[in-house]
Amino acid sequence: MTSIHNDQRAIDSARAALTELREIAPSLVFASVVTDDGFEVVHVPDNSADSGRFASMTSSVQALGEAVTRELSIGSSGYVVIAAENGHVLQLRVPGHELIFAALFDTHETLGKALSSSRRCVERLAALLAEHNFQEPLGSSTHY
Amino acid sequence: MTVAEHVILFAGPMGAGKTTAIRTLSDIEMVTTEAANSERHVVDKATTTVALDYGEITVGDEEKVRLYGVPGQKRFDFMWTILKERAKGMVLLVNNDAPEPIALALDYLKDFSQLVENGCVVVGVSRRDINRLPTPDDYADAIADAYPDVLVPVFTVDPRNVDQMKTVLLTLVASLERDESTKELVQ
Repeated sequence: MTSIHNDQRAIDSARAALTELREIAPSLVFASVVTDDGFEVVHVPDNSADSGRFASMTSSVQALGEAVTRELSIGSSGYVVIAAENGHVLQLRVPGHELIFAALFDTHETLGKALSSSRRCVERLAALLAEHNFQEPLGSSTHY
Repeated sequence: MTVAEHVILFAGPMGAGKTTAIRTLSDIEMVTTEAANSERHVVDKATTTVALDYGEITVGDEEKVRLYGVPGQKRFDFMWTILKERAKGMVLLVNNDAPEPIALALDYLKDFSQLVENGCVVVGVSRRDINRLPTPDDYADAIADAYPDVLVPVFTVDPRNVDQMKTVLLTLVASLERDESTKELVQ
């Protein structure tokens, strides 16, 4: 059985959604779509280095965020923000899928605008996956 | 009275039983960070830990032991780095049906060598009901060759068995206390 990160439908959909995001978000430095367990599906720009490590960290951060929301019984996790001096990292779950969107934006745009672009990106990705009739393999668990 | 606290790591390859061991031992409902496992062709289990597991157990009247499980996969080794800095000891679990399990155990011990050299590691060999060999003595001999100056106890364990896991944990806690007593004497 093909793993999600090797599934061509998932790769093509994610690449298309991230490419569209680059066009509407000039402050985007890097973006990727990763599986819940930290495997990268695709990233932009293509020449960015060490994206595997970022994918693993994305997975851990998402899981910790969701563990905190479970522990505090505050509903499902909407997004995760890491705000730093020179940029912010945003993470969102792709609705209905075991996939996480993670992106680094520089500070030339507001966090709100970056979040709005990111939300649009994950919704677009979910729509593309639906068009491709993509579903995770049976038996895998979900956290959303 | 001050309550003594220990932080213990559970490390080892995916599928060795780290999450199960902490669930078996913990007095509290454990915190997990499980995600769907994309590598079912490697280890056939539905989920895998991607950040940490957390549980607690009180040993005797006074000693609280915090149990942290780390992800087994090397790609999450940044979590190993974060958590090993806080740990006083480690239970290394190795599933005996893994390919070359002794070499695998030695690899993990190398990644946590400071804890090994402090004599604060116990090895639990799981899934010996599936593969009888190698034996715990085989592991102990290989570890003694690699670390001739320290004693690393090796047990056969079923991570679901509370008595077996408590034996492993108490052995480790005893090692930690011996280590602390030695440090106090030196000071």
